[in-house]
Amino acid sequence: MDLFTAGFASMMGGALLRSRVLTLLACLLIAGAAGIFLTENQTITATFYEIVPGLSFAVHIDRLAAFFMLTIAAVSFCVSLYSVEYINQYKHKGLLISLMNIFILSMLLTVAAGNTFSFLFFWELMALSSFFLVMFEYDNDKTRKAGLFYFIMTQLSTLFLFIAFSLLYSYTGTTSMEKIILQEKSTFLFLALFIGFGIKAGIIPFHKWLPYAHPASPSNISALMSGVMIKVAIYGLLRFLLVLPAELWWGLLILGAGTVSALLGVIYALKEHDIKGLLAYHSIENIGIIYMGIGLFVIFSHYNVPALAAMSMAAALFHTLNHALFKSLLFLTAGHVVHTTKTRNIDEMGGLIRQMPYTALLFLIGAMAISGLPPFNGFVSELLLFQALFNASAVHNPIIELVLIICLSLLALTSALAAACFVKAFGMIFLAMPRSAQKTHEASWPMLLGEGLLALACVILGIFSPLYLNSLGYALPNMMFIGGALLFSILFFFLLARANTRYCETWGCGLISQTPRMEYTASGFSEPIVTIFSTIYNPQKHVSKEFFDKSQTLVREGHVEFHLMRFFEEYLYMPIANAAMVIASRIDTLHQKDMGAYIAYVFIAAVILLLWVGWFA
Amino acid sequence: MIDAAIKTIFVLLYVTVAFIMTRRDIISLISTYATQSFLLACLAGLLYMQERHATLLWLAALILIIKMVLIPSTIRSIQKKMKRDMEFAYVSPTGSLMLSIVIILLSYGALSHLLRELGLGQLFALGAITGVSFTMMGLVVIFSRKLVLTKIIGYLAMEDGVMIFSMFVAELPLIIEALILVDLFMLIILSTILALGMETTIEEVHKRLQVLVGEEK
Amino acid sequence: MIALLNILVAVLISPLFMTFIKKVKAWAQRRQGPPLLQGYYTFMKLLKKETVLSTNSSWIMRWAAPINLAVMIIAALFIPIVGIGGSGNILLFLYLLALAKFFMALAGLDAGSTFGGMGSSREMTISAVIEPVTVIVFAALAYVLGTMDIHRMALAVLANGPQAALVLISMSLFIILIVETARVPVDNPETHLELTMVHEAMILEQSGKNLAFMELAHAIKQTLLMGLLMSVLFPYGLATETTLVALVFGIGAFIVKGLCISFFVGLFESSMAKSRLFLLPNLFMLAYFFSFLTILFEVFA
Repeated sequence: MDLFTAGFASMMGGALLRSRVLTLLACLLIAGAAGIFLTENQTITATFYEIVPGLSFAVHIDRLAAFFMLTIAAVSFCVSLYSVEYINQYKHKGLLISLMNIFILSMLLTVAAGNTFSFLFFWELMALSSFFLVMFEYDNDKTRKAGLFYFIMTQLSTLFLFIAFSLLYSYTGTTSMEKIILQEKSTFLFLALFIGFGIKAGIIPFHKWLPYAHPASPSNISALMSGVMIKVAIYGLLRFLLVLPAELWWGLLILGAGTVSALLGVIYALKEHDIKGLLAYHSIENIGIIYMGIGLFVIFSHYNVPALAAMSMAAALFHTLNHALFKSLLFLTAGHVVHTTKTRNIDEMGGLIRQMPYTALLFLIGAMAISGLPPFNGFVSELLLFQALFNASAVHNPIIELVLIICLSLLALTSALAAACFVKAFGMIFLAMPRSAQKTHEASWPMLLGEGLLALACVILGIFSPLYLNSLGYALPNMMFIGGALLFSILFFFLLARANTRYCETWGCGLISQTPRMEYTASGFSEPIVTIFSTIYNPQKHVSKEFFDKSQTLVREGHVEFHLMRFFEEYLYMPIANAAMVIASRIDTLHQKDMGAYIAYVFIAAVILLLWVGWFA
Repeated sequence: MIDAAIKTIFVLLYVTVAFIMTRRDIISLISTYATQSFLLACLAGLLYMQERHATLLWLAALILIIKMVLIPSTIRSIQKKMKRDMEFAYVSPTGSLMLSIVIILLSYGALSHLLRELGLGQLFALGAITGVSFTMMGLVVIFSRKLVLTKIIGYLAMEDGVMIFSMFVAELPLIIEALILVDLFMLIILSTILALGMETTIEEVHKRLQVLVGEEK
Repeated sequence: MIALLNILVAVLISPLFMTFIKKVKAWAQRRQGPPLLQGYYTFMKLLKKETVLSTNSSWIMRWAAPINLAVMIIAALFIPIVGIGGSGNILLFLYLLALAKFFMALAGLDAGSTFGGMGSSREMTISAVIEPVTVIVFAALAYVLGTMDIHRMALAVLANGPQAALVLISMSLFIILIVETARVPVDNPETHLELTMVHEAMILEQSGKNLAFMELAHAIKQTLLMGLLMSVLFPYGLATETTLVALVFGIGAFIVKGLCISFFVGLFESSMAKSRLFLLPNLFMLAYFFSFLTILFEVFA
């Protein structure tokens, strides 16, 4: 408890004094406190400041909250370590530091909130501070657009949460987190919570803000937002899902939304050439995987299979932690790459592995972890989820079993596509020859240290977590043995292959020397997949040519445009926006009058009120 | 043992429909249909071993003669020119396979409690589901294929669905089954004549044009 | 003990199966074909050669081949080749194969040649599309045999005898074998420097010992997938205890069964033509439908 207080205080101090050291200290303190807390089975409840009776700032920390606080604090620590050096490139350093502190603090306090009021308060604080951080490079047009988009979406999320919390209060008569227990059916409440948290988590179809906001913000902020902030939404969903009387279709809805997000997220990521946009789409994918775990938890609980329910919950929680680690690692390394190459387009990069070998290695670890390859942490959580799905027969309802099997195969497709996507990303950024003239340099050591800690966590969790999970009764393979044996034999063969080596240029098919234009591009790499999934992308090609002669044989100039359909933007967001515009313009005509008209409105309103009071109230 | 064999045949039957949905090669389409009929006959035979209705044996024999030998050979003999059917409408072959997974799930969902009320055994419920989903998949073949000939094979697959359903649930008297088969045979002849007739008229037009060209010279 | 023997036999016997398939294909074309030990000769020859690396390549290129071979050797722990010993989570097996593929594809991109990139792109595409099929086949196995451990699967088949569902699953497993080992109609192992190739394009820049390792890893992968197929379809002959007789019998049985499958693969390849890359999802969808049906009937029954 004292540790928590000290941590929060030093975070606050960091925000006020704009000190980077205090941020680091605070993260360390809170991570330590949460870590200790997790091992003990206790809860902390405290009320700090009561504004009016019934509305107070309160703290309630149990193990679920502590787990999320640990995740937030640990990732924030590494990100802050990275930021020590990274933020030197920005003009208003002090502002960035204090905003970042407020942002981290608000995330922690949202998770620690003891009642719905303080949850909503800190939630909004988190939304606002992250909005300012997204807008940090405000002189860029795209950033302003992204910021606005993000702001609207995040306010929409708060709106739905507000509805949900009002409903909750009207059902139970309390705002306190620990006292909320609901027995009656609460469809609307669940839907409001689902949409509210879904928007923040970036579940399809509410995902559109992620690929706008993440590329626009500074990379350390993207790491925080993608790594941790969307996890706060997961926490919120879990927190309320655990106390509501869950129904089967809730689980199916969450599972379905998760599967669709996972698959479409990775499919959209494959055609993305903006490195940070690509990572943002992968956040959607991974949130989808976490949602699948939560959905399975609800389904298995409904069919009364506690062991499998616990397994899927463990998968969801563990993947939450893992995704926080490897996604922030990827964003941080990508941030350095973007910073030195001055571009986010991976088609213009290439060959960076020679200038920045450590960054490349760290990115590779992140890429392997997110692709779910052994022996990294992403594999273990995906394995848990796969095992839960493999045991679908425990449900004893044929239709549900088959739905689970279909989800299983889609999950497999997702993880294989993720591997393809990261082969593309790593290959295009770091391998082969540079595709444009670049002057790049390796990251400085505090940055590497921050990234290195995250990478280390990925490896350690991947190798040692099965031991811990097996002690809880899961039958996972012994990754320590597999990892050790792998390392040993790889080293053996490497040493065997090392002798007698000669360097020579790649054969350029008869041309004298190789040029970067011979290399495969990112678009070329993902072309087969785009063709196979063309129903989803719906690619359209516009070709226009100008000719020298009338019979159109000699081409003077040609122009080709490729468009991929933005399904959700065209069929969901734009119609809603247009409808809002139409309604607004209708209302607008009411305002184009003189003062008499306004007084007439007041008169009409008064008459309606009188009627209401007299006859209906 | 018989149960397991019947189940295997069900799966194999589904596979033949999947082939009918996706194959582009007309010769192999016809032989797939022949295989399907053979499997159907086996099914009737196995069912006889369990139920001991003589009707089923008659049915097996009829299927073997008409559906496995007569119809495929008729189609083969009439149709020699076209080798492949590459044209699909509305859904691609891959799409129709996905669609059929949904169809099977749907027909299970729709029929399961109905069949429970009827008090049918596991195997018979499966048979009913297979029958219904076969009929639906046959419909998919009919609307997704463009050539008349392949549409006919879709119709045949649909008819097989009806037969499976009747074998397992409705227990139609043999005479009706026989009538269906005769009907079917008539339909084959009629539609192939239709298909071929159109082609011959086109050829005739072509011949006349050739004559015209010759006269000009 | 048995586990080590499994690895050893898998490594030693793999080139033989590889060559035998070539031989069968040659017979089908009425040619003589290479001598049966050609795989070993080539391996020894490549080991003696120097390794030529591209100046554009990085450490990925140097590590890819050792990683591939090491992963395959570890993966051999998971499959009952000679006998049943040890444990093998089927999903970990699958993901180890994916790990090897990941590095192979990266190495394909590393030298910066067009062929390598093309190979990697296609390989990752194919592996992504076949993945749902593989997982659903494995799920069907777990469903039917009630375990996720490959060794225990073999034991379960030995105990319960053959089942109808297993025969059906084996057909899907055979398709997976064809796809994963880059054979016709998915890939063409015969071509070099042609636009149809996938796997060969990826390892085009490898040479010397690295190439030897890559090819051996590929051969072992094929043996492992054959072993998986056999332990589901026909596990008889696997040694269940560590007596000399049982082990020798196990080795003999494995060689015979492997040659049978190789013969079949060779015939299958000879009877097929390479199919267009974008028609492959069609084939995979068929395999998916097939295995889905198997599960469906297991579930409904």
